[in-house]
Amino acid sequence: MNLEVLLANYPYFVAVIIFGVGTLIVLTQPNLIKKVIGLNIMTNAIFLFFIALGNIRGGEAPIVDPAAPAALYINPLPSALILTGIVVGFSTTAFAMALIVKLYYFYGTINAPEFMKMR
Amino acid sequence: MHDYITRVVFRYVLLFILMYGFYIVMHGHLSPGGGFAGGMVLGLGVLLYFLIYGLRWRDKLRFLPLDIAILTIGLGSIVEGVKFLLPHKHGPVGAPGELFSAGIISVVNLGIGLLVASTILSIFYLIVEDKK
Amino acid sequence: MLPWSKLPFLLILAGLIPAFTMPVFARWKRNFCAPYAVIVSGLLFSISLSLFVKVLNGGALHLHVGGWAPPWGIEIVIEPLSGMMAVLITGLYFLISIYSYSAVRKEMNEEAQGWFYVEFLLCMTAMLGLVITNDLFNMYVFIEVVSLSACALVVSKGGRIAVEASLKYLILATIGSGFILFGIGILYMITGHLNMSFAGAVLAGNAAGYPYLLWAAMSFFVVGFGVKSALFPLHLWLPDAHASAPSPSSAVLSALVVKVYIIALFKLFFIVFGLELYQESYIRWLILILASMAMMFGSFFAFVQLELKRRLAYSTVAQIGYIYLGIGLGTPWSVTAAFFHLVVHALMKTCLFFCAGAIYYQTGRKKVTQLAGIGSIMPLTAAAFTVAAFSMVGVPLTGGFISKFMLAQGSIEAEYPYFIILIVISGLLNALYYFPILWQVYFTSPPAQGENNDEPHHAQINESGFRWDQIPLSMKIPIAVTALGIIALGVAGIFAYDYLQRIVEFFLC
Repeated sequence: MNLEVLLANYPYFVAVIIFGVGTLIVLTQPNLIKKVIGLNIMTNAIFLFFIALGNIRGGEAPIVDPAAPAALYINPLPSALILTGIVVGFSTTAFAMALIVKLYYFYGTINAPEFMKMR
Repeated sequence: MHDYITRVVFRYVLLFILMYGFYIVMHGHLSPGGGFAGGMVLGLGVLLYFLIYGLRWRDKLRFLPLDIAILTIGLGSIVEGVKFLLPHKHGPVGAPGELFSAGIISVVNLGIGLLVASTILSIFYLIVEDKK
Repeated sequence: MLPWSKLPFLLILAGLIPAFTMPVFARWKRNFCAPYAVIVSGLLFSISLSLFVKVLNGGALHLHVGGWAPPWGIEIVIEPLSGMMAVLITGLYFLISIYSYSAVRKEMNEEAQGWFYVEFLLCMTAMLGLVITNDLFNMYVFIEVVSLSACALVVSKGGRIAVEASLKYLILATIGSGFILFGIGILYMITGHLNMSFAGAVLAGNAAGYPYLLWAAMSFFVVGFGVKSALFPLHLWLPDAHASAPSPSSAVLSALVVKVYIIALFKLFFIVFGLELYQESYIRWLILILASMAMMFGSFFAFVQLELKRRLAYSTVAQIGYIYLGIGLGTPWSVTAAFFHLVVHALMKTCLFFCAGAIYYQTGRKKVTQLAGIGSIMPLTAAAFTVAAFSMVGVPLTGGFISKFMLAQGSIEAEYPYFIILIVISGLLNALYYFPILWQVYFTSPPAQGENNDEPHHAQINESGFRWDQIPLSMKIPIAVTALGIIALGVAGIFAYDYLQRIVEFFLC
């Protein structure tokens, strides 16, 4: 793999790196809120990946104006899918937050190792 | 939050937040955005209001917009079927690119915006008030 | 009258609408919730039976959602595999909802009872949708709904252990679905289709052009679905979640939720990637190695657990290994064995969790060490537990024997006969942790009064005299039906072979 390929496809590599960072945060951070933030970073990296693969260089936003049709439109399907993905991520975050609040009432802390000890 | 500056500043900002939310909702068929994004802005604006001025919503009214939005959108889509997504079957289509065009889409977007806004608010309430 | 061709849509709608009207009953009349769930799952069971009859002789029903043709619209396909899974899901749900009528009242506080059924029906609907859909992104959405509602099923009992288990499950499941979404993205990038059949057709011609990307996509799918279906090193969430959930939830989670992801992974591998690509890639060996480890270590871990439901949960980890082993070998016999084991294990685990719940209902006991003398006060439960445990071990005339036999056949057919040794050893390990329970249940006398103080007060065993179980009829019937089902599959299971052969024909030929 040469450098040109990498530079031409840089959004994908950025998405993969951010995905790794998010996963690392989820798996290593002891604080539960930080874990949830890591989940959000991870899912947002995937959304970035989808939007990058829908993009076409030189294309316009896919809003058709009959008076002046553009020669090239970008692919709107990944963006539409990602809207669903965002909603799913939102509901997951809300659910996780509700559970963390419950845990805070039980243990008085949101640090995972601390209440592992308390059990 | 009993800070005087936030209260006074927010009193003027709230209108702009709500107007921006409605703008995104109503232009859903013309530009990026739409029911979900605009509803998010609307809901967060109202949420800021509650954070600053305290919880003042009556218990019974809390789920009312949620119920209304779910009823209209859910039942509407079930009754209408596929036709629900085709604007030219409902009302005037108008010229493309104008605000009042695309038949029922604006109405649907408004309903989705209400739904999202009230969902955010009810999630916030359920997390805040449950102290068991 | 509804046209017959629209019936599969009803499979989703008839579960979704009751799930979202359930809060009305939860607030208004709490006692109506359970009968409502029974009626809904019974209705869905009859619908899926009629669909099952249609695909009984092979062939498939193709339906287009909203009338849009497949490359653009969402397609629903009822092929023999989805027909079988739909019948399994709705049938077990029918039994579990009957069982839950009493169990939920015993194990949950009053407020949660109505809301439990919302998640219960939502989970069923999403599983049905996941099984019958043929669209990649639609599959992702259903996967998310299944995992969110499964987390809610775990937490429905309340208490800090359940909340902790649910949060762990939620975080790991979200990581899993992130990996799955990434894999779907890569597939969409390569093929430009979201429909599985079309993506597979494009991939069949052009697979040689993208070797690394395809490996990446396959490993993303294996990790994602592996987390969700508790493949061995990724099973960490499972024991906590299954042990702390109320027993109807445990039955749902252990018997169905875990299996549905395996079905989705199987469909992805054999519709999209195709058999050739699957057998060439190293992913197959990864699955085989992890499955072998699951069969061994799952049993070892189960052996040291003292809580009954935790032991059953680790046993699930081991049994998932059998199914993955069958799919990993990838020959007609082994895939047949995998699906037969999937059905049998769903019945067995449901029966075992029912028994655990019944023992808790009558005596309030949860530990394996406290089960002495259960055989004389709960004969029906003990008998059903015995049948299911024998089936786990693989005693002839039960369903477990036939699936293990088929799996051995499959490993010979795939020319890796040393997997037979693994299957036998794993069966013996199963015996090692199920037979002590049976020994306790039948052949030891209950401890004298006051000997162990942690025993609940109402749980004193009347030593003299034999009597039937003191559990309500709504618990006895599902226990008996699942136990009889295991025996029926063991005696007449070879007749199911014809049907399973059609599944294999559909995917492997």
